[in-house]
Amino acid sequence: MTDLASGKSPGPHPEEAAEESAAPEALIRLRGLRKRYGRRIALNGIDLTLEGRQIVGIVGPDGAGKTTLIRSLAGLLEIEAEEATALGHDLRGDVTAYKAHVGYVPQAFSLHRDLSVMENLRFTARLQRLPPQDFTQRSKELLARTGLTPFVDRPAGALSGGMKQKLAVANALLFRPQLLLLDEPTAGVDVMARAEIWAMLERERAAALIIMSTSYLDEAEHCDQLVYLDGGRVVATGTPAALRAGVAIELYRAWGDNPRGIAQAARQLAYVDGARATGRFARVEVRRQTTPGAARVLHDLRALHGAGVRFAEARPLDMESVLLALASSRAWQPASTQREAGNGKDAGRSR
Amino acid sequence: MQRPTGAGIDVTPTAGPIIRAAGLTKRFGDFTAVDNLSIEVQPGTIFAFLGANGSGKSTTIRMLIGLLQPTAGSIEVDGIDVIQHPRKVRDHIGYMGQKVSLYAGLSLRENVDFYAGLYGLTGEQLQQRWGALRERFSLGDTEDEKSEDLPAGIRQRAGLALSTLHQPRVLFLDEPTAGVDVYNRGLFWELIQDEAHAGVTVFVTTHFLEETDYCDWACFIDAGRVIANDTPEQLRRRYSVGYRVELTLPAGHHDRCAAVLSAIGGPLTRTVNGVQITVPTLEPRVLDTLEVATTACPEAQVHIEQAEMTDIFRRVLTETAKGT
Repeated sequence: MTDLASGKSPGPHPEEAAEESAAPEALIRLRGLRKRYGRRIALNGIDLTLEGRQIVGIVGPDGAGKTTLIRSLAGLLEIEAEEATALGHDLRGDVTAYKAHVGYVPQAFSLHRDLSVMENLRFTARLQRLPPQDFTQRSKELLARTGLTPFVDRPAGALSGGMKQKLAVANALLFRPQLLLLDEPTAGVDVMARAEIWAMLERERAAALIIMSTSYLDEAEHCDQLVYLDGGRVVATGTPAALRAGVAIELYRAWGDNPRGIAQAARQLAYVDGARATGRFARVEVRRQTTPGAARVLHDLRALHGAGVRFAEARPLDMESVLLALASSRAWQPASTQREAGNGKDAGRSR
Repeated sequence: MQRPTGAGIDVTPTAGPIIRAAGLTKRFGDFTAVDNLSIEVQPGTIFAFLGANGSGKSTTIRMLIGLLQPTAGSIEVDGIDVIQHPRKVRDHIGYMGQKVSLYAGLSLRENVDFYAGLYGLTGEQLQQRWGALRERFSLGDTEDEKSEDLPAGIRQRAGLALSTLHQPRVLFLDEPTAGVDVYNRGLFWELIQDEAHAGVTVFVTTHFLEETDYCDWACFIDAGRVIANDTPEQLRRRYSVGYRVELTLPAGHHDRCAAVLSAIGGPLTRTVNGVQITVPTLEPRVLDTLEVATTACPEAQVHIEQAEMTDIFRRVLTETAKGT
């Protein structure tokens, strides 16, 4: 139904011949990765293995550690870990050689605002010691793909938000990195540029391991794999389909004239976990442990005539349900009782 | 003035807009950040104000709440001329900025006391008001926590609670759900919907276009200009095919169902499993006819598909660029 880049449905990515057939597949192995800023623990023991050419989405609330994880993988931070290997390098050691293989797009625009588009690319090429012919060819290709060719001489600071981000991505792709790290690359970007940036990343999917954090549900849906972070730890990983399969929730929609009234009425049903009005329907969630079965739920929802329900339908789970299930399973503890080495899983639920 | 459908609000449309901006313009030197913007917000509604970074969204809000003087145009909020009395309007409204303004080093309760002092809320009145908010916004356990230790979801709710402490009739919320997980985002929108239901007008901006469906009205701004301004339902009607309704039917019912649905008009398709019809809106006539069809065939299963708001706004941008 929804496709970000074009009218085609995404599907699994094909095993295309990689542009860099000689480059080894990127491998990241993290065990017990920790990062602390003074008293604040940003990463509290990350265990994660990522390999192959794919798009990995890092999701989770603000403060979960997404930016810190990405910056750690970019070789920008001093970290502690039992193991932290990326592309054959130890991230706890000297990362100078490592960084030559990593493209990084931080959340805030960090290129030179007073240099033009072309000057920025040239600057990066020089830093990376990219041979001139490679630069000419690669920059031409990336500029065409981003639609930035007409703007090559414009100062980067004068570009729109979406174009700035496209330039940042093009900049990171210049030297064909094996690993591409992006921190919320489309946050606040206009809806057209968001699709264009996603299309750029999909094209690179066969050539690199791409790790990006995002808070957009539609982007999470299109990732090959998701890593859900919360409280500095990995809560869950898997393909969107695998995560969906693990969510013990049934999703329904009850349509009518008064969705807010419907949501309120639906919440009165004993087995309904949550109901919320959105558009012309109420989105109703039922936990699998307590469900009386779809037939009964549909019957009960339709019977909410007083609330104006006209139809009810059972829906396949969407990314919102998946992330909801993951978010509500985390426990929150007041700072005063927080255990440093604790995993938070066995603390009670807070709603 | 058209009353938004499906909102469940009980506010008379003849009350007149509670926020009115006409010909609002802001120029910074040669650059026009906001270009002749005119909007009206009805009381007790949730008004979604959408646009990318750099679209003029933030500049507009700052003008609406009296933080920035426009170059041209007029603004009225709850009967106050904002350009003449910018400070007065800020005492009158509730505002929650992009970074929730809780003072670090103070507990949540200490923040409440501080803000209450600013609004002149004290003693019993404050106790009652905060007590009610604390309950409704599920902030009970966290009063004594230092505000910097609060997780994102609780901070957001605390921010909203503080913005309504003095019971303003109008709330301005600037990207209140940014950085908050999906679970807390949903809770937050429920709270906003409750406020609107109680008659509070909520002017809210968001990057998450699908949140438009929580609102009664959506105004989309691009390059300083309004390029869409309507109910979510009407936007769906104008910028998508509307709703695709599929009825899965047992054998023998297809003909009868198709005959009933053909009364709606519009493209109707027969499939192996049943009948499919596309309707631009779910107006009463359509709902009634669908209900007749499903009552006549109780084993019918209804599925309704609608375009995502992201796709709708993409279409808005494309069509605006084409000049249509």
